[in-house]
Amino acid sequence: MTTQATGPVTSETGQRDNGKVLEQLQVPGIARFKNFGITVLNLSTFFVLWEVFARTEVINPLFFPRISDTFAAMYNGFVDGVIWPQLSHSLTNFLIGMLISAAIGIPVGLLMGSNHIVDLTLSPYVWAMTSLPRVALIPLLILILGFGNSMQLTIIVLSAVFPIMVNCMAGVKTVDPSLIRAGKVFGAGRVQMYLKIILPFTLPFVISGINQGIARGLVGMLIGELLGGGGAGLGYLLDRAGDQFDAPMLYATLIILAVMSVGLVQSMRWLERRVAPWRETSA
Amino acid sequence: MPHATASTSVGSSGTGRDGDVLVRADHVTAGYDNLRERTRLIALRDVSLDVHRGEFLAIVGPSGCGKTTFINMIGGFVKPLRGTITMDGKPVHGPGADRAMVFQDYALLPWRTVERNIAFAMENRRPRPGRSEQRERIAEALDMVGLRGFEKSYPHELSGGMRQRVGIARALVTQPAILLMDEPFGAVDAMTREAMQAEFEKIIAKTRQTVVFITHSIDEAVTLGDRVVVVSNRPGQIREVVDIDLPRSRFDADVKGSTRFAELREHIWGLLAHEALGAKPKGDAR
Repeated sequence: MTTQATGPVTSETGQRDNGKVLEQLQVPGIARFKNFGITVLNLSTFFVLWEVFARTEVINPLFFPRISDTFAAMYNGFVDGVIWPQLSHSLTNFLIGMLISAAIGIPVGLLMGSNHIVDLTLSPYVWAMTSLPRVALIPLLILILGFGNSMQLTIIVLSAVFPIMVNCMAGVKTVDPSLIRAGKVFGAGRVQMYLKIILPFTLPFVISGINQGIARGLVGMLIGELLGGGGAGLGYLLDRAGDQFDAPMLYATLIILAVMSVGLVQSMRWLERRVAPWRETSA
Repeated sequence: MPHATASTSVGSSGTGRDGDVLVRADHVTAGYDNLRERTRLIALRDVSLDVHRGEFLAIVGPSGCGKTTFINMIGGFVKPLRGTITMDGKPVHGPGADRAMVFQDYALLPWRTVERNIAFAMENRRPRPGRSEQRERIAEALDMVGLRGFEKSYPHELSGGMRQRVGIARALVTQPAILLMDEPFGAVDAMTREAMQAEFEKIIAKTRQTVVFITHSIDEAVTLGDRVVVVSNRPGQIREVVDIDLPRSRFDADVKGSTRFAELREHIWGLLAHEALGAKPKGDAR
């Protein structure tokens, strides 16, 4: 019998029915934190170089502030309550928008994947909306909804819902036909086929759909706040800092945005690996 | 030479262990419609064949000869265009608990552990076996295929050969009247393949399971089969049903090395050689 060479396979007793294919290795603590250490070193070097370079003032500090000033601006912004209301406004909007997108996108996508008629009927609109650059909708949305929160929320949903929908549809459509055959052979009815084969197979697609939805939704959130003139949110903070030539604040907001996006996307990646470990190792 | 011609399945008097018929294919024609090109590809034409209770029937033929179509018809998810398939005298209308299948690509659910994959074969049935009964039968099936201790492993942690053992255990756990196997060892490496053939022969000797076994390896067909059905290409028709009058176990050295073994293999090769060497028509290989 061949076994995967992922570690020592035979047990100490030499008995094959010991069972475990994967044994635990004793990894020294330092080795485990190596990558983390490299990341910390990498980032601190980057910030030090930034500080040194900014102090030479080769580039006008108006465009390129010191990192120390930037972090000071961020700190003060939080202490003075300038940043937090905007951040929480953006986050709340974004989360509500994503929930709505998932609540619409997942069922509609699943339905499109399983029903040919629904698919044929909806797909021209879905593909048009998926391909259309989101910014193009702003004037229309302002016209309809005005400069309010509902307009900002709508643009998030319109950005995020279609990638979720399309991925869910693709998941259902690519279900391994031999799994369906196995389902039939072993007596799975329509409902069981859905619950036990189609949905679990589609789950990783749903998550990568949400992942894409997050990336698109963040863009939607920002253009809504930058162009929608709602006077709230991180986009508004960026806009105002720009108008006031407040470079440290501008950079501070960008860093917050970067941390927020990386955090969201990485946690979804983590979830994806947790939900479908078999997709990493082999087919 | 113990021959039996296509439509008059005579081979029953041969090494088939019991006489009575379990599955009967009566003048069956099957094909696939291509609506876009408005064509119908005939995969099998006018095939009549009996599967006897307790026998190991191997079907051998070149790819595209319709052998998978045949097994799918017994399985109940391909309908014949003409003719009938009956099981225990009743016409086959769809899949049923009396038939189980082992697939070439294993078809295991990757998100389920070994034991939950095997449980899948029981949990959709009415009446559903109780929890403790399920557990017992799973343990029994795992013992049979030599996978005890791998209950909690996921398919992606196992080698191809071990995955197919799970596939076999999943089929056996249903205690089917007939086991349908669609090139079950086609995707494992040559060494594992030989080992699995030997183990599988032992399992069958113990359970006296009725098996229909598709392969395109003549050697495998002669090694495992009580009878070998030789199918010609496009549309599939039965060239000959060959009784394999070799003692078991076929893995005893003097059996595999015997002149009779070589004769039988040579004979079947003679029936298929011109097709295997000749040009195949363009199109899909079903």
